[in-house]
Amino acid sequence: MKFDGLDASQTASAVAKGELSAVDVVTASLQRIKRLEPQLNALITVMEHEALERAALVDLKVASGGDPGPLAGVPVIVKDNMCTHGVRTSCGSRMLEKWVPPYDASVVGYLQCAGAVIIGKSNMDEFAMGSSTEHSAFGPTSNPIDTSRVPGGSSGGSAASVAAGYVPLALGSDTGGSIRQPAAFCGVHGLKPTYGLVSRWGLVAFASSLDQIGPFARSVADIALAMDVIAVPDPRDPTCSRGERPSFRNLAESPDLKGMRIGVVREFLGDSLHPDLRQAISEAESFLASSGCGIVDISLADSASFGLPCYYIIAPAEASSNLARFDGVRYGHREDAENLVCQYTRTRATGFGEEVKRRILTGTFALSSGYYDAYYLTALKARKKISDEFERAFSSADIILMPATPSLPFRKGELMDDPISMYMSDVFTLPVNLAGLPGMTVYAGLNAEGLPLSVQIVAPRWEDSRLINCAAVLEQHFGRPSSAMGGVY
Amino acid sequence: MTRAFETVIGLEVHVQLATETKLFCSCPTSYIGKEPNSMVCPVCLGLPGTLPSLNGRAVELGITAALAMGCSINRNSRFHRKNYFYPDLPKAFQISQYDLPLAVCGSIPIFIGGRKKIIGITRLHLEEDAGKLVHGSSDGRLSGTSFSLVDYNRAGIPLAEIVSEPDLSSPEEAREYVLAIRRLVRYLGVSDGDMESGSLRVDANISQKCTDGRWGNRVEIKNLNSVRAMERALEHETVRQRDILSGGGAVKQETRHWDDVAGSTRPTRGKEEAHDYRYFPEPDLPAIVVCDPMVRRLEEGIPELPWAKRERFEMEWGLDPMDSTALSERLDVAEFLEGVVAAGADSGISANWVRTDIMRILKETGLKADELPFTPEALGDLLVKISKGVLSNTAAKDVLEQMYRKGLDVAAAMNAAGVDPGGISEGTLEGVIRKVLEANPVEAGLILSGEDPSGKKKKFLQGLVMREIRGQSPVQDVASMMDKVMGEMKKPNGSSV
Ligand SMILES: [Zn+2]
Repeated sequence: MKFDGLDASQTASAVAKGELSAVDVVTASLQRIKRLEPQLNALITVMEHEALERAALVDLKVASGGDPGPLAGVPVIVKDNMCTHGVRTSCGSRMLEKWVPPYDASVVGYLQCAGAVIIGKSNMDEFAMGSSTEHSAFGPTSNPIDTSRVPGGSSGGSAASVAAGYVPLALGSDTGGSIRQPAAFCGVHGLKPTYGLVSRWGLVAFASSLDQIGPFARSVADIALAMDVIAVPDPRDPTCSRGERPSFRNLAESPDLKGMRIGVVREFLGDSLHPDLRQAISEAESFLASSGCGIVDISLADSASFGLPCYYIIAPAEASSNLARFDGVRYGHREDAENLVCQYTRTRATGFGEEVKRRILTGTFALSSGYYDAYYLTALKARKKISDEFERAFSSADIILMPATPSLPFRKGELMDDPISMYMSDVFTLPVNLAGLPGMTVYAGLNAEGLPLSVQIVAPRWEDSRLINCAAVLEQHFGRPSSAMGGVY
Repeated sequence: MTRAFETVIGLEVHVQLATETKLFCSCPTSYIGKEPNSMVCPVCLGLPGTLPSLNGRAVELGITAALAMGCSINRNSRFHRKNYFYPDLPKAFQISQYDLPLAVCGSIPIFIGGRKKIIGITRLHLEEDAGKLVHGSSDGRLSGTSFSLVDYNRAGIPLAEIVSEPDLSSPEEAREYVLAIRRLVRYLGVSDGDMESGSLRVDANISQKCTDGRWGNRVEIKNLNSVRAMERALEHETVRQRDILSGGGAVKQETRHWDDVAGSTRPTRGKEEAHDYRYFPEPDLPAIVVCDPMVRRLEEGIPELPWAKRERFEMEWGLDPMDSTALSERLDVAEFLEGVVAAGADSGISANWVRTDIMRILKETGLKADELPFTPEALGDLLVKISKGVLSNTAAKDVLEQMYRKGLDVAAAMNAAGVDPGGISEGTLEGVIRKVLEANPVEAGLILSGEDPSGKKKKFLQGLVMREIRGQSPVQDVASMMDKVMGEMKKPNGSSV
């Protein structure tokens, strides 16, 4: 049996039956990485040695008749802000260039328990701040569909890895769109779960109240499979729900949307949206209607007006506090100096990149006495308004359909000197984080130039399964993404 | 120009909560004397990706202390981040409470010269401790040092900060307040309240109110490492502030550092106090939700409080304030005393014994009263025997010694002490008296001839008898038996002297 073109579930079942060896699967994946990395730079660390060792363990388990798990032998890439025991976790920053955590992120443990083989750590915008994976101390990642373009960000390395067929499955983190926007740019599916559904333990925090880990894949079935593995209660994360989770995989297998009301956000479909993406929305709308859904118009005026400014106060405010620990005293980058204050300032001035410094300064300012009420407190009120607005919208709709990004993947360097336009690329995704809702980018085919199109679907809190259900239906229409550059997976 | 001043003091007391593990991780809290950085984990080191998990026991202890001070418990309170850079603070923020503390609005009584004064408690909140810095410079300060070492064993230790109203009007009241807080947290088992080891720390705010209605600015004093240091610092600061105000100057609002060796306060460096802590709600921790059943359960576990015990000891048992204060200082001692009295012993005798003999034993052994090898009931039995005249005080002390050194029960201890559990028989007593009289013919003769009007000789002889019988008969029995024997001697047919 050959594994070209298999998805994660097919690979796992072939490995479990002994039709494929995990070592062969991982070796093929590593070969592809070696061949394409010079063009893509999607990975910061390739875990060749660890991956082959673990793959051998999976094969041993299969040989001894044990249950190798639902992801047996499946190579997986995780974003380099998720801690891996004994393997450098850099967050794309000079600050943690050599930092090796003494523990695994919970999701890393869950993946390994399920038989997955972590094969590499993906490139990202430094500390997940950015929308293009150009703000990385390890150089930019290229979009596998068109290497002159960015893969989106901040989880651009994970999205590119899946799109390029390094692996069938990768994890990213999404604070304001960092899974959904790169998924859209690279032409794969990407899910940001409800805040509190997936443990954040071991995820290096950017903005704690917004961060959430989620999967990238080239099939809805694989997204569902990944969710079954990573979306489990975790006492190590006090914000992680103790509640029961549905079987996402079962939902993906037999999707049914009959009677579902799809809310379409008309104000998001104006001139600022690329016409091809507008076309993708209307195609999705018609197909869902023909699949038995009702279509309703909804308004998200508050999200449209306050979302971006609200996000760019709350996220930097939390980041300014979360990133304060990088002071050179205990670990990571340090610039020795004649006294403590100089050591702090030089360490942080040289360890952080421009975008990170910009956000730390913004956040520090927003929390400062005299400005707290005007900025942070006002942003909290706006956040409440956005949540309330979504809640109202969900009284007339079961799923919201809207764009994931306003534009198609832009060219490398195009927005590097224009942070505001860069921020604008998350305008449709970040309100979803502010409200703590699940949101998913679903692949919607390619345009005439061969660039990927997408739609975003959003559900009420804890209704992530509804997104899986809806995405599986949309996949029947738009088809599965195929790996760019002729990938293994 | 002379003006009168009133001193106004408010205290912030930090007590280390007596939990097994730290506030947000499962590292042990017993860091005293341990190898530096041996009691740490990724959480309390603030490593990237780690998250805090709240220790429920710390919340319970905080609520218990707050309830004992009559505070109202916030049913929804939350943590904030207090942001500042310092090498002893691993995350560069301290998880503390800000606008919604665990509890607010309580009070605690203090006693000054027999007068009771109620001191208001503004709030009680939970927070984590920082690590400890050891500086390489000769004066142990951070400035001018070539290197510093940091030990994070203390980082993440749970603290309750208890903030008083500015109700204290003298260093003496401040002392009584701190002692009252310490006594209370020890009673409740909330903290060991040990200032020397840093389990109880005090910062003081002090200002002067002038009789003409004007106020001097408030000064915060830090580095108060003992009750004595706090008193001295407040005395010093009172004089310093009054001198400034009397001279027409203004007290600068600032934080001052107490120098125990110099016996004075000095300003801390300006940079260290120019903090904007940028408090904001801790996003990694959900609100602390306290439900009524939990409050009721904790309330039920609160023992009678020290000030209530003290008052009851005075009202019910007639103890003087010195005794009642001393005996209510420690819960184990107070409860031991109550056990002794409950066993039927006289409260006055019991108080006396507990305050002297039991306290001595506890001091010698370092034990708590409930760890003694004998029960309060056993001591009660013993003291009943004194009251009944079965045992003298002296003999009882020998018996107690046996009970404590050998862990014997009363009967066995009496045996071991050579004390007849049934007392001395009349025959034996009579024999001893006769022996004593024979051995002291001069005194006996004087008594018999009526030449001992003050009874001194008689007392002397009785004392000899008591020594002989090891105090196993009540003194009145000895006296009456001696009278009887001497009466017989007076008779013409009695044996001659
Ligand atoms: Zn710890």
